[in-house]
Parts: sequence; C-alpha cells; structure tokens
Amino acid sequence: MNYLRATNLGEATALLARYPEALLLCGSTDAALQLRHAAATATLIDIHALEELKGVSVEDGHMRIGALVTLNELLRSDVVRASLPLLAACAETFGSHQIRNLATVGGNIANASPAADLTAALVALEATVTLASQEGERSVPLEAFYCGYKCTKLDHELITAVTVPLQTGEWYYRKAGMRERLNIAKVSIALTQGHGGFRISGASLGPSPVRFRTLEALLDGGVYDDAAIKEALESDTDPSGGHRSTKAYRLRVAFNMIKEALSQPEER
Amino acid sequence: MQITCTINGKVHRFDCAPESRVLDLVREAGMTSVKAGCGEGECGACSLFVNGRLVNACLLLAPQIQDAEVVTLEGLQEETAAIRESFAEHGAVQCGFCTPGFVLRAYDYLSHGGERSEEAIKAALDGNLCRCTGYRKIVEAIVKVKS
Repeated sequence: MNYLRATNLGEATALLARYPEALLLCGSTDAALQLRHAAATATLIDIHALEELKGVSVEDGHMRIGALVTLNELLRSDVVRASLPLLAACAETFGSHQIRNLATVGGNIANASPAADLTAALVALEATVTLASQEGERSVPLEAFYCGYKCTKLDHELITAVTVPLQTGEWYYRKAGMRERLNIAKVSIALTQGHGGFRISGASLGPSPVRFRTLEALLDGGVYDDAAIKEALESDTDPSGGHRSTKAYRLRVAFNMIKEALSQPEER
Repeated sequence: MQITCTINGKVHRFDCAPESRVLDLVREAGMTSVKAGCGEGECGACSLFVNGRLVNACLLLAPQIQDAEVVTLEGLQEETAAIRESFAEHGAVQCGFCTPGFVLRAYDYLSHGGERSEEAIKAALDGNLCRCTGYRKIVEAIVKVKS
C-alpha cells in the first residue's frame, strides 16, 4: 500500500488530484475498519496534520467548524454548547469517549453513513460544507452534498470545514438504538424552529440524511394532526428494513419523536 | 514504512505496513496490557493514550503514532496504584481481560476532574465493555478511589 502524508492543504489537494481513488486518513475510526474488511485501497493520503482544517470560530452569525475537529472537541467547546446546543447534544450521543477522541466532523460527513447522527443534525441546522481541490474551494449545502447510499459529490476534493448558522429558537434532538450509549441509530431526529420556521431532519430514515420538507411545510402551516404528520413522514422518508430494525419500527419511532419534539422542545 | 514513536517513555521503531494496527504494534513491543478484544472500537480493552488522549488502539493505524507519545498501563503503574487497589478491594474484576482498559479510562476520567457520581461515571465508561461483572463493582470502585 502506498502511504502519503500531506502537511498542508496545497499538498493534500495536489496528492488528491494525482491519486483520485485514495482513501483519506484523519481520525481513522472508519478507515481502519474499512481497510480490514474491504479490498485493499492502493493509496492512503494522511491529512491528520493539516492545521488549516482544525479549530472552531464564529463570524457573522455563523460557526465554522474545521473538518479535523474531533467529536470530543465539539462536545467540550463552550461556543458550540452555547451557540449550537443541538449539535452538542448530538455529539454527546456519538460513539464512545475513546472514539470521540479520534473521530472527526469531516470524516463523519465524508463517510456518508445513513445512520450518521451528526450529519442529520447538521442538515437540520442548514449547514454548508466547504470542499477544496486544486481548482480552489466551493461550498455546498450539506443536504445537497449526498447523492444516495454512501454517495457524496466529492470530486477529487476534500472537506475543509462545515459552516453552520448559529441556532435560535426551539430545538430537539433524540436518537433511538439498541442501548443507551455507543450506539448506531435505528432512528434519530433533529429539529429546530426559529424565525425561518421548522427544520427537521433524521438519520437511518433514508439512504443519506433526510430533510423532512413535506412535514416542515405542514407544521409551518399550523397543521399538527397525527394522520397528516404520519402521511408527511412517509412521503419524506425512505427507511430500509435493515438488520438493525424494520421499516415500520423506524417510521413509528420517528412519529413518536416528532410528537415529543412538538410537545417538549428545548429552548435556546 | 518506518514508524518511530515513544512507548512509555522509550523510543520504539517499527518496520511495518501503513495499514498495521497500533494494537498489534504495541503488543509486539511487549505491552500486553493492551488487549485485543472486539477489534472494532466497541469494547475499549485496547485503550491507550496517544499524546495524552485515550483512544482505541484497534482503530488506530501505524502512521497515526509517528512521533507520538504512546502510554499504556505498563507506563502508569504509580499513577494508577490507587485505582488498581480500589478495583481489587471492591472485587471489580472477574476474568480481568477488560481491566487494563477500565483502569486507564478511570485514570483518564479522574485526572480530568471527573465527578464522583454513579451516573457520571457510568456515562464516562461508555467506551468500555465488561462481559463478567455487570459493572456495579467497577462503578463502585471508581467512586471510592482514594485520592
């Protein structure tokens, strides 16, 4: 296997242009398992030393979270806890302490798991993701970044940061799984209700994070009727009946969570 | 590839493939407190410190410890003495396989000023599994570590 280490962003994008099929190595929590279970990747590009991809900062009502920020850094950040409590609540349920010390925000986004809690929370928060290549940088709404199961629009690019508008108004985050901690979501729901109306998203309810636009429109219109909510949920989601649970279960739990979100939201 | 790092203060050099797991490297270097459990980051039996952060050695690849300071339970005998004594006193071990991981996590938690409540300790132990004890005695042992 070919191992290449990038020490700055320019080096990383040059290597990526040269080896477009390479696997990027940062926290390595997903990469280590992928390398064990899947066919050998020919090239590893190690980006874990890239300073440009570290740190959290706030400007103009937005938070910029570097792709290499770990889940524990996110969880412990005072500014994240104060300005994006939904994201902090989500990080709290992510993996375990040891995994949170390694796993990065960018890795979770790029890995594109349908069960990725962080990406569902970020979609509800209307995050945009910044991608860099040799041609320069571009920003894409996170929701539009996914194109199906484990499919992203990365095109010889790497994720440098995610930018999130600071949260206002009511919010809700909840995850259901087999056990309380170190859990892969059977269903997770993230909801915010600020000046722009409802923003609702979920994980494990489709091939990638799903934004519930029909449901949002319904609730924005003041309709809180159970049957209408159920119908909207069914049209917004496409849950699989995978080995972790059935489609009917996922829909039922999602419905219960939406009801709970509407009756007992957190407030910021 | 060549990897150089310190393990418990001593310089080690490995000639290994980039996809080698740190878990296997440190065990080959003689640090057998680092246990090969689930191999998927679920059980925490392979926990060790890399540059001061507790991580799963099974999820870490060789290049990640280049120039790093790796510390295992072997290198923290004095620092963990009170924790190990408390585990023994409270019978917080059965087969013992998970114990080094639990002791390191307890050390990590307490040395960062972790709260001594059962609830907080249970949450802090989210990365460590024990198949024997049922956790009650482990939690009790950590609550009662003499400081």
